[in-house]
Formats: sequence, C-alpha cells, structure tokens
Amino acid sequence: MAKAQIIVRNLSKTYRVPEREPGLMASLRSLVRRTTRDVEAVRDISFIIEEGEMVGFIGPNGAGKTTTLKMLSGLLYPTAGEARVLGYVPWERSPAYLQRISMVLGNKSQMLWDIPPLDTFHVLGEIYRVGPVELKQTLDELIELLEMEELLAKPVRNFSLGERMKCELVAGLLHRPQVLFLDEPTLGLDVSMQGRLRRFLAEYNRRSGVAAILTSHYMADVVALCPRVILIHHGELLYDGELSGLAARLAPFKLIRVALRTGNGLGGNGDGFDLPAGVDVVERENGRLTLRVARAAAPEVTAHVLNSLPVADLAVEDPPIEAVIDQIYQDETLEGSLPEGVGR
Amino acid sequence: MRGTVQPAPGRSFPGADHKAPAVNLRGGWALIKSTWAMWIQHRGFFFLLAFGWMIPPLIYMFVWSTAAGGDTVSGITRGEFVAYYLVLILVNQLTYSQANWTVGDVIRSGDMNTWLLRPLPPIYNTLSTEVAGKVVYMAFVIPVTAVLALVLRPELHVTPRDGLVFLPTLVMAWALRFFWGYWLALLAFWATRADALLALQDALVFLLAGQVAPTALLPDPMRSAATILPFRYMVGFPVEVLSGQLSSAELWVGFAFQAAWLAVAVALFVFVWRTGVRRYSAVGG
Repeated sequence: MAKAQIIVRNLSKTYRVPEREPGLMASLRSLVRRTTRDVEAVRDISFIIEEGEMVGFIGPNGAGKTTTLKMLSGLLYPTAGEARVLGYVPWERSPAYLQRISMVLGNKSQMLWDIPPLDTFHVLGEIYRVGPVELKQTLDELIELLEMEELLAKPVRNFSLGERMKCELVAGLLHRPQVLFLDEPTLGLDVSMQGRLRRFLAEYNRRSGVAAILTSHYMADVVALCPRVILIHHGELLYDGELSGLAARLAPFKLIRVALRTGNGLGGNGDGFDLPAGVDVVERENGRLTLRVARAAAPEVTAHVLNSLPVADLAVEDPPIEAVIDQIYQDETLEGSLPEGVGR
Repeated sequence: MRGTVQPAPGRSFPGADHKAPAVNLRGGWALIKSTWAMWIQHRGFFFLLAFGWMIPPLIYMFVWSTAAGGDTVSGITRGEFVAYYLVLILVNQLTYSQANWTVGDVIRSGDMNTWLLRPLPPIYNTLSTEVAGKVVYMAFVIPVTAVLALVLRPELHVTPRDGLVFLPTLVMAWALRFFWGYWLALLAFWATRADALLALQDALVFLLAGQVAPTALLPDPMRSAATILPFRYMVGFPVEVLSGQLSSAELWVGFAFQAAWLAVAVALFVFVWRTGVRRYSAVGG
C-alpha cells in the first residue's frame, strides 16, 4: 500500500509587505510611519501526496507555488494550517527531517564555484553523513544517468547553465532523499537539455520511488513527468487531479481539424459551407479548416462535416495544454466560475 | 505554529526517529577543506587583506617606539613597545572575524536558504570560513612578523604564569570577537545594511583594544571605558597578558570581564539567531 509522504491541510501564508508611494517625500514619510499591506500568498490549500508520486505544481507567476514549496521544505512558517512530510512538521526544521528531503532550485546554486563538482559532492556527502561506499555508489549511478563524467574535473564557474543544473541535481540527490522539491529545475535550459533532465528525473523517480513536487513553467516538463497536477492560482488550489482531466474540465471543447480535397468547388477553403450552431472556425486556409466545438457535440459535428464536405483527412483533438493553461492564467474571474466538481 | 496532523486511517508514516547526532565534526571539517581549496586559488587577495590589517598596528608601533627612544614611556621601553605590537599584530589577525562580513550578504541574497535546507546548523559555514581563514592569513602574517622581529629587536620576557594564561585569554578573545560580530551581522535579518555596525565594532576595537596605545597608556576616561566595555577583551587583553603588563589582580579582573562579556555575546547570538530565523521564515527569504 502506498504511504502518504506529504499531507497538507488548510495551509495558508500571508506576507506583510511594506508599501509606499514613489518619490522622495513618500520615502521620508515612510521613515516615520510605515504602511504595510497583507498579501495572501497561499490560501487554505490541502492535498496528500503518496510515495513514488510525481506531482506538478502549476500556476502563473506569483500564484503561491514557491511559497508552498518553501513551507514544505521548512524555510517558511505558515500563517495557518498544518503539514506533515514524512511524519515531520517541516518548519520545525529537525535535522532528521532535512536529512530526508531535498529542494533543488533552478535559480539558486548550492555548488561551490571555484572547485570541481566532485569536491562539492564530497562535502555534501559529509554534511549528510553518507558513508563513503554508499556515496561512491550513488555518485556513480547519478553521473552515469546524467552522462556527465567529463564535467567532474573542471571548476563549476566554467560550466554552462545546463552543465551546472546537472550538478545541482546530483548535489540534491546524493543523500537519497525520500521527498524531492523541484522548483523550476529546467529554467533557462535549451530544449534538448530539458529533455535529458526530464528523462533523468523520470528514470530516477521510477528507480527510487521518491515522492516529488515539481514546479515548472514549461508545460512539457509537467506533461512528461507528472501524471497528476495541482493548479494554484491567486494562492488557491483550483484543481487537483490528472493533467488530461484539467483540459477536459477547464477547456470543455475539442478541435476538429479537416483537410479538404483540392478542387472541391467550395472556394478552396470551404467558404460556402454552413456550420451548425455553436461551432467556431479557428483557422481557415489552404484547404484546411480547424473547428472548435463543445466536447459533447464533437461526434455530431464530425459526422456532419464528413457528410457535407469533400474531406481528405480529419482529426479530432484535445486543445494543446498550453492553450488551456494560458486561458486559466488570463481569466481573472475564474475562481467564481469554476465548473462543478473541480478539485478532489 | 505546531502541526498536529495525524496519519489518516490506513496510511502510515515511515519512522520519524528524530535521532541525528547534534554535532557533525566531519561535515565541519569537509567545509573547512573546501574553503581552503577555494581560497588557495585567491591567496593573493587574502594576503593583501592581511597586509592591510597589519598596517595600523605597525604605524603605532613606530610612533610609540620612536617616542620611547632610548628611554621609556610610562615604564615601557622601545623594545617592549616593539614586542607588544608584534604580538598584537598576531593576536589581531587570529581574532579578526572576517567571516562575519559575509553573513549579511548571505541573508540579503537568499543564499541563507541553501544553508537552512541542510541538516547542519548554518553557523558551521561561518565557523569553517573562520578556521580556514586563520590558516591562510597566518601563512602570510607569521613569516612577515618573524622578519620584523629579526630586524626590530623586540624585548619580550614571558613568565610561565603569563604564558599559561595567554592561551585561554587568546581563545576567549577570538570567541568574544567572533560572537559579538556574528550577532551584529545577524541583524541583517531585520535591517539590510547591518554591516555598518561591524565597521563601528572595528573602530571601537581600534580605539579601545590596545591598537592606538596599550590600555595602560590611555587617558583616564578612555581607560575606564576600555576596562568596562568588551572591545579590549577581543585583542588588547591577551597581548597585555603575554607582554607582562598586568599585576595578578588586574589579570584576574580582566579574565572575569572577558568571561562575562563572552557569555553576553553568546547569549545575544543565540537570541538574535532564533528570533532572526523566525522572522526570516515568517517574511520569506
């Protein structure tokens, strides 16, 4: 039976931030009387993550993803609510807890810049009390998985961003954590390096059974690694479930792509074709049509198209996940209008 | 805020045993070695820093030994002034806490997060920089002081009592200067430019810790201030002990002051660290 590694209940975090108008007078005034404003970064979120699960945290910038990760890794006290990770209260920061988790930050380095990475790995091995035999075994395994033998002898300051990120992952994993927090691990990397790190993380997760939370703005990361996603927006949990379910619930439509036979007598693009009500034409060029229809109406519309148009090819697709996410991020009024049953 | 989440029925936690030994000497030693490895690459920079810290005591050595000439100033001969200042250069270097200057940056830049995520108290990082630094600086300061001693003919007559007391007063002087600077540096949790207070500490050490003049030669209000305030016990006091300037009574009173100030510094450090980390984790790094 899978164990619950991360339990979060009604967790909230409110920051008090200083606020002042621009300008010299305002800055003098703020010396005398500081005005502050409360910002609710995370509001009342709850979820459970089990052993071996890899969960994607998605949401626009400032949604509260990193704040949540910081609370779970013990860097932040919550304002309200509870959390247990591996049975520990994270923000008590017990050394035994820190020994069992790891947080890899795409925009922060824990490598020592002036010396080769192997030296940093050995320092971390001592800090985490990893025995020499086990350390060597783990290092060999990680270095092989990441194909980075050639990097071990040169100082980290000479590394490219991708090379450095490989080192960050090794540094974060060499004590074999049971829970892994990955904050933007592929930030700024090129497509092929992103792909390599994704394959590594998937393989590592399969081998080790580590529970992991991943935040990323690259949907490809989430699609490749996380069967389950948690969507956070304005600090609130809007969705927790399968990625495909997110598209189905929040973008309840399908795309029908049609390629028309040439010489079809309809002006090349099917211009004269009558569409049933509720069907939008998204694209119409060079004998190709893309239609957007409600999920439920898709079979009916497809049949209609096949019957009334000279179709060379036809495909029914889900909208691209990026488009769904973008729609959510932009929709400020989403909170009030979420479909029934979103979340779990 | 203490959580009280219990495992839901049918779920279980892996053993949360809370049993990690409190002190991790191997981790500390590994940090020291890595700091050496990094600093050796920039040794020229650190030697220049050490050279800079030697200059003010050297100037005052020349001022006082010239003033004494063939005679004495308040019973101190030229050779004794030279000895006093050469010991002071070594003690000043051994007790100077360079590591404290970087603590504020670590807090401001958010690198404190990396330290806080490790199962090792962050003071290990600062302490290992301290220890590693001493070795690198001493590699420069000891040969230079030795050459100066050969050229300037110091007069140093160490009694067994003074030699014996010197070591503990030196260690306590380092600890006092370190923890005093550390609690000041940790104020960066609240005020981003708390380092200015470190500069103030340096200035007071310069005035009251036997650099401008041995404490015994200071005019009265300053001498009383030097006796009461912590700064003399960071540098001047062990130097006075080794150069035999103190009576038994002065020595034990000084020792008591030094121990008391050290206790205050450690208590302030513990308090500021705890409240600081609490604040840091309340407002976010």
